Amino acid sequence: MSPELILALLAATVQAGTPILYATLGEIISERAGVLNLGVEGIMALSSFAGFLGCHLTGSAWLGLAAGGLAGALLAGLHGVVCQVFLGNQVVSGLALTIFGVGLCNFLGTPYIGQATDGFHQFAVPLLADLPILGRIFFRQDALVYLSFLMPALVWFLLWRTSFGLGLRAAGEMPAAASAAGLNPQRLRFLGVLLGGLLCGLGGAYLSLAHTNLWTTGLSGGRGWVAVALVIFAFWRPGRAVAGAYLFGGVMAFQLRLQASGTNVPSSLLLMLPYVLTVLVLVLSAARAQSARRRGILGRKSAAPAALGVNIESVG
Amino acid sequence: MDIAPHTPDVGPVDVLPLVRLAGVTKRFGQVLANDDISLSIMPGRIKALLGENGAGKSTLMAMLAGRFEPDAGHIEVAGKPVAFASSRQAIAAGIGMVYQHFMLVEDMSVAENVLLGQAGGFFLDPAQMRATVGELAARFGLGIDPAARVGDLSMGERQRVEILKLLHRKSRVLIFDEPTAVLTPGETAALFDALRSMSAQGKAIVFISHKLEEVLSVADEIAVLRRGRIEGEFLAADVTSPADLARRMVGRDVLLDVHRDPVPPGPLVLAVRDLSLQGANLSGPALLDHVSFDLRQGEVLAVVGVAGNGQQQLVETVCGLSRPESGQVELLGHGWDEFHKYHDWDGALAWVPEDRAGLATCRSLDLTDNMLLTTREGFSRGMWLDRARARTAAREIVREHNVQPGRIGLQAWQLSGGNLQKFVLGRELRRRPRLLVAEQPTQGLDISATEAVWQRLLEARKSMGVLLVTGDLAEALQLADRILVLYRGRVMGLFPASDSGQVERIGALMAGLS
Repeated sequence: MSPELILALLAATVQAGTPILYATLGEIISERAGVLNLGVEGIMALSSFAGFLGCHLTGSAWLGLAAGGLAGALLAGLHGVVCQVFLGNQVVSGLALTIFGVGLCNFLGTPYIGQATDGFHQFAVPLLADLPILGRIFFRQDALVYLSFLMPALVWFLLWRTSFGLGLRAAGEMPAAASAAGLNPQRLRFLGVLLGGLLCGLGGAYLSLAHTNLWTTGLSGGRGWVAVALVIFAFWRPGRAVAGAYLFGGVMAFQLRLQASGTNVPSSLLLMLPYVLTVLVLVLSAARAQSARRRGILGRKSAAPAALGVNIESVG
Repeated sequence: MDIAPHTPDVGPVDVLPLVRLAGVTKRFGQVLANDDISLSIMPGRIKALLGENGAGKSTLMAMLAGRFEPDAGHIEVAGKPVAFASSRQAIAAGIGMVYQHFMLVEDMSVAENVLLGQAGGFFLDPAQMRATVGELAARFGLGIDPAARVGDLSMGERQRVEILKLLHRKSRVLIFDEPTAVLTPGETAALFDALRSMSAQGKAIVFISHKLEEVLSVADEIAVLRRGRIEGEFLAADVTSPADLARRMVGRDVLLDVHRDPVPPGPLVLAVRDLSLQGANLSGPALLDHVSFDLRQGEVLAVVGVAGNGQQQLVETVCGLSRPESGQVELLGHGWDEFHKYHDWDGALAWVPEDRAGLATCRSLDLTDNMLLTTREGFSRGMWLDRARARTAAREIVREHNVQPGRIGLQAWQLSGGNLQKFVLGRELRRRPRLLVAEQPTQGLDISATEAVWQRLLEARKSMGVLLVTGDLAEALQLADRILVLYRGRVMGLFPASDSGQVERIGALMAGLS
């Protein structure tokens, strides 16, 4: 492989990793608040369509992005209502959300298949783009990629450096303690779900507004599930989500290149690669958590929020 | 553990009480949990509420903490009557509780836990948060690292975090519910220092406990609670005889007289020899210390003592939940191992546990299923249960023991405590045991249910030996043929209930004075 090819592959890695990064960060917020949202795949699917439609109708990529984020928040809000108001099972509700989101995307999106979108375009950042190697990989991208560079720090700051984040994490760890402190854990959880859905929605909108310029259904292609797995890989920490997202982005970009180069390996096998990696990553994360536990480093079950997936039954 | 006695400073008399309870009464169904209670909680004083389990301490404090409202009487804060509709209002009024189960987020730091929901602005400054909490801790002598993760802390340190939460909220009344239950002796001493430091700075401290020596060492004032009533209030400095306090706590007033037929003693059913148990805390005192006694068919042996002096360990050993560490336990002439491996389900050992709604029954099973929990004999054909016969038997128990309402389709939680207890007792007696272990059998029961249970136990002793574990001296004196006093796992005395000279000394024995 020539150096030029490698640089192109790395740049494609960043592009492929970006939607996963948004979705992973969104799911981290939701799970930190104690709500497991398995509907990420459905949210990304629906907001990829909402992003396309918003852009298609208004002609503005930014309004398309807003539509995608809004659709994500709305769909996640449905999950919030089911789990926080009616105390529904979070796993079942999340799975239903995925089926619903993907189905709705296919239903609404089919008439528009093949329509071109005038979404986000790549532009070089002055000065930074001229950096050797790094400039080529990171700074000749589109606006959403640049925004995603800031996102992990923003999410970290929100969760660990604001009183809202402190309350949100308490609602995910021990809602009774949050309640005893005079906070409203239900409300905090709901806000966490909405915010998480918004970020997942941005990830979905990226797929139709920047990743491709031609609308088609099925853009999410399992990325939502990868994001759910990456939250575990990242130990629920925004910084580690970056590494995970780009790792997956790299595998996705690599298998595309490999297919394009006309290799003899069946394309079905190549398409499996990201998901094989998902399984491997989950096994490795579990093994690492176990060995850390054995050596007494973490000093607790896992890094998962203690009340993750547990609904708050009564206000105490 | 030896703690130097605390000499209370006598505060000014004209200070207004921070909180005053006037004639507070609370009733749950038939049971009067709190009966006309009047108390004043003064700033700068440590008030101990001394009482056995079920004496009504928790109910009283739950009303102060706003968890429920009194049926009669009222609560005043700083001279003004208040009605708390929620715990939030009680906190706002300056009343804070340290519960036995901590409300802490384990994965957060001490500072984050203390300032949760309290931090002023939107943005957090961790360094400043640690400084704030560190200063507060230092001011009240609560040594703790504000940056430490709560999950890594000992129980005593976690308790300090709970106290800091209240102090940060400027609570003026701090209520501690059995605070030493989870502490080591060293931590207990540190807690008492902190309590004194807080009271010296004008906080009012309420210390709920059944541990006599702790109350005497830390409290300025002591209120004794028994069966929902204040039995007496003392200045700790005026208490000359801990035995008197112990007697007041467990009482010996006769509520009702039960008829006792003399029963000739039968064969030996339980023999305990030199039973000792160290438990998990290897450096602490032994939980059971060379306990020896016999129990024959035809007698009730009452084990009395302040709760937590080894009664639970004794019962668990006899009933087969824990293996004797050293010494022998013989049941119906068999060794402990042999008996608990092979004994017949019926006609042997029956246990009426203290926790009748948790250990004795499953709350959402109906009465037939609850009966089958301990008796399958006669109701099974191969691997199938004969439910029709089981229902008949359950109906018999309900009728014979007058369980109200008399429908066997009801689930356990739908019965009142007294009726559930009558059912449990009926279920166990139906198995015709030869040894019955009854733990606090009338705790929380109204008078008629108490009488029914007492009659059954006296009746039962004709065909079995009854080991009665009770914290209620009146109950022991009514039922027992012999009385065994436990203190810190040691047998302080074992004598016939008719020996009036010894009976007089029970209070002293329970307080560990021989």
